Amino acid sequence: MNMNSKIISYINSNTNSSPLAVFRIGFGLMMLYSILRFWNKGWIYTLYIEPKFHFKYYGFNWIKDLGDYTYIIFVICIISSIFITIGYKYRLSMVLFFLSFTYIELIDKTTYLNHYYFISTLSFLMIFLPANAYFSIDNILRKKSYKEIPKWSIDCIKLLLSIVYFYSGLAKINSDWLFNAMPLKLWLPSKYDIPLIGETFMQQEWVHYFMSWGGMFYDISIPFLLLYKKTRIIGFILVIFFHLFTGVLFPIGMFPYIMIVGSLIFFDYSVHEKIIKWIKKIIEPIRRRIIIYNNIKEEKIIIKKKKIIMSIISVFFVIQLFLPFRYLLYPSELFWSEEGYRFSWRVMLVEKIGYTTFKIKSNKNESYFYVNNEEFLTSFQEKQMSFQPDFILEYAHFLGDYYTSKGYLDVEVYADSYVSLNGRSNKRFVNSEVDLYKEKESFKNKKWIIPIDDEIKGF
Amino acid sequence: MIKKIFSFTFILIFLIFSCSSDNDDSSSEVWEQKSEMLTNWADNFIIPSHSTLLNNLVYLEGAGNSFTNLPNQQNLDSLRTVFINAYMSWQYVEMFDIGPAEESYYKSKMNIYPTTISRIEINIQNENTDFNNSNNYSAQGFPALDYLLYGIETSDELIISKYNTDSKYLSYLSEIINQMLQNTYPIVEEWESYRNSFISSVENTATSSVNKMTNDFIYYYEKGFRANKFGIPAGVFSGGALPEKVEAYYNKNISKALALESFQAIKNFYNGNGGVSLRQYISEVSTAEYSELSTDILDLFNIAENLINGLDDNFYNQILTNNVQVLEAYDAIQQGTILLKTDMLSVLQIPTDYVDADGD
Repeated sequence: MNMNSKIISYINSNTNSSPLAVFRIGFGLMMLYSILRFWNKGWIYTLYIEPKFHFKYYGFNWIKDLGDYTYIIFVICIISSIFITIGYKYRLSMVLFFLSFTYIELIDKTTYLNHYYFISTLSFLMIFLPANAYFSIDNILRKKSYKEIPKWSIDCIKLLLSIVYFYSGLAKINSDWLFNAMPLKLWLPSKYDIPLIGETFMQQEWVHYFMSWGGMFYDISIPFLLLYKKTRIIGFILVIFFHLFTGVLFPIGMFPYIMIVGSLIFFDYSVHEKIIKWIKKIIEPIRRRIIIYNNIKEEKIIIKKKKIIMSIISVFFVIQLFLPFRYLLYPSELFWSEEGYRFSWRVMLVEKIGYTTFKIKSNKNESYFYVNNEEFLTSFQEKQMSFQPDFILEYAHFLGDYYTSKGYLDVEVYADSYVSLNGRSNKRFVNSEVDLYKEKESFKNKKWIIPIDDEIKGF
Repeated sequence: MIKKIFSFTFILIFLIFSCSSDNDDSSSEVWEQKSEMLTNWADNFIIPSHSTLLNNLVYLEGAGNSFTNLPNQQNLDSLRTVFINAYMSWQYVEMFDIGPAEESYYKSKMNIYPTTISRIEINIQNENTDFNNSNNYSAQGFPALDYLLYGIETSDELIISKYNTDSKYLSYLSEIINQMLQNTYPIVEEWESYRNSFISSVENTATSSVNKMTNDFIYYYEKGFRANKFGIPAGVFSGGALPEKVEAYYNKNISKALALESFQAIKNFYNGNGGVSLRQYISEVSTAEYSELSTDILDLFNIAENLINGLDDNFYNQILTNNVQVLEAYDAIQQGTILLKTDMLSVLQIPTDYVDADGD
């Protein structure tokens, strides 16, 4: 068989549909719980409604919070995740979920987390997968269910999960992480309040190194351990252990549980059929009332618009594979200037803390004054702004516009910025001679960032 | 099978957690050091500073009563003396905006300056004594007393005659002194019971005593000390100098003394005065890169203090005659802020105030 026919036969090969059905249910429930938790903690207000000013992703200035109506977007998220769980109008629900969730994320980049980016990418991918083929309300409505789905539709999710793990492992191959155990050397001792291990293990230097190296090997190898049948159980035990452990150590919310549930997709369909049987038992009283489900015919699935879907998914993965390497196009030190840092599965790599104040000059004379950041930013926004160049620039422009609108003439904005990275003493971060109000945001290298004067080797 | 996997994992986790407990004898050092630090803060800083202030306020009340009974020069002089003493001792209290003080907006009721004269005058005319109204925070406490003792008229004679002719002024004066006592009593009292919960809150969370107090300390250094006493009057935040915003503006001669007293309080707190405090704690946990940090901070404090010493006793005059010198002192203080807010927070791994959101 030549390459082409191999690909064609792969595309046409089918597999049992239950793993994707279980994944859909797990995803829906996890999202539902995550959003309710987010709401319950009051974060919709504190993160999206309360701030007077939002930090925008480049090119997404037009995304605004809706004031008190912002809750509506979350309601859409909640309803669509319920529909995804039960598999009702699946594709529409998935589109709505992707749009509403991504909209929320785009309101303010202060809240950027790799976890949220993961949810956005995964939900985009899931729009194109037949996750309602089996064990869904859509089956009842259409009186059709599909025992088999294309193999690629499940492999897509496995591939995305593998990319997340593998790339975050690659990112850990750097001199700070492996040879200085940074930032774990700073973080772990501060976990002295965890019972039993806090004051013992977490204080030992060898533990910091062990966890740095262990974390790197874990991330890199976990996709392979999960892919091969012989090592799958070991891999899954590691997944549970690792995520629960980091969940205890760090304030990472729902992410550990999402990854544990997500990793179930690697198991054979027999496991998933058992899970479905178990769910059926739980919902038996409801099922008995729905008489029509007996009339569902099992059919052979036909993916409509297969060519379009396949090409969208291909482009999606090409982007996923190359986007994390875009930092190579910048001459600056990645961890310091963060040019090309986001959307690359760089998780937990830096301990960065900054202190940035802004000097406003006007009328081309020598007099100036400093801005009180508290007047415009929440403490969370100020914290994030203080060490990320694109935030600093955007805020400088906001201040420039603000004071211009207040009647100041020829406003100039200068930043007095100091950042400490991975246990290094603070250094001046931004050239204080550069009028940031005249600098434009772009994907080009920001020349006004003062280089760190140190090299962090590695990916 | 899933069940087996889960139970196996939990056994594994349990084994690791339980092994670690009898593995090592260096245990509980961090915990003990932190609780030693909190005990030191409570017993040698917070509680004694509050009682000193309370004593001075009691003297203030006595002198206030004498003056109310007989408003003459001699009684005014002695009232002013105890006022200055009390204001000095306040400098050791303001940074402890925690627990009962935080709940009752104590800091705001005691020392918001510049005081709002128009508000004071309206209150006097209307005999309004609603001091819990937040609009009246800047019409009470030390800054209001400063105005009432030095600023209501242009000379001592006129001040005394004003009190003699208008009894409303006298009653507002004693009402304010009384209010300062009423605000302070419950805090001194509540600390007796609050102390235990304060020193036992050792864990590393946003609301634990270690984290809140450290944040309060930095906040006081940055706002209460750096901005209020220097930056704002020197015009750092406004473009032009605002000398009338100095502390004790109407007295005029004690702004430097108050600032130095406040700096002393900051240094004492940082150093621990023989007990464990931030300085010891930093050198304990610091990594190679930060080995000098605990002394670097102290060095910066000393540089700044020297520059403050070179200023005029009267900051108002100093700002009018040579503001550059004040700005230089401000810059030196600012160097300390940078170190506290970057390197120190990084070493201590104490998250800044009230940031509540998930991390990566």
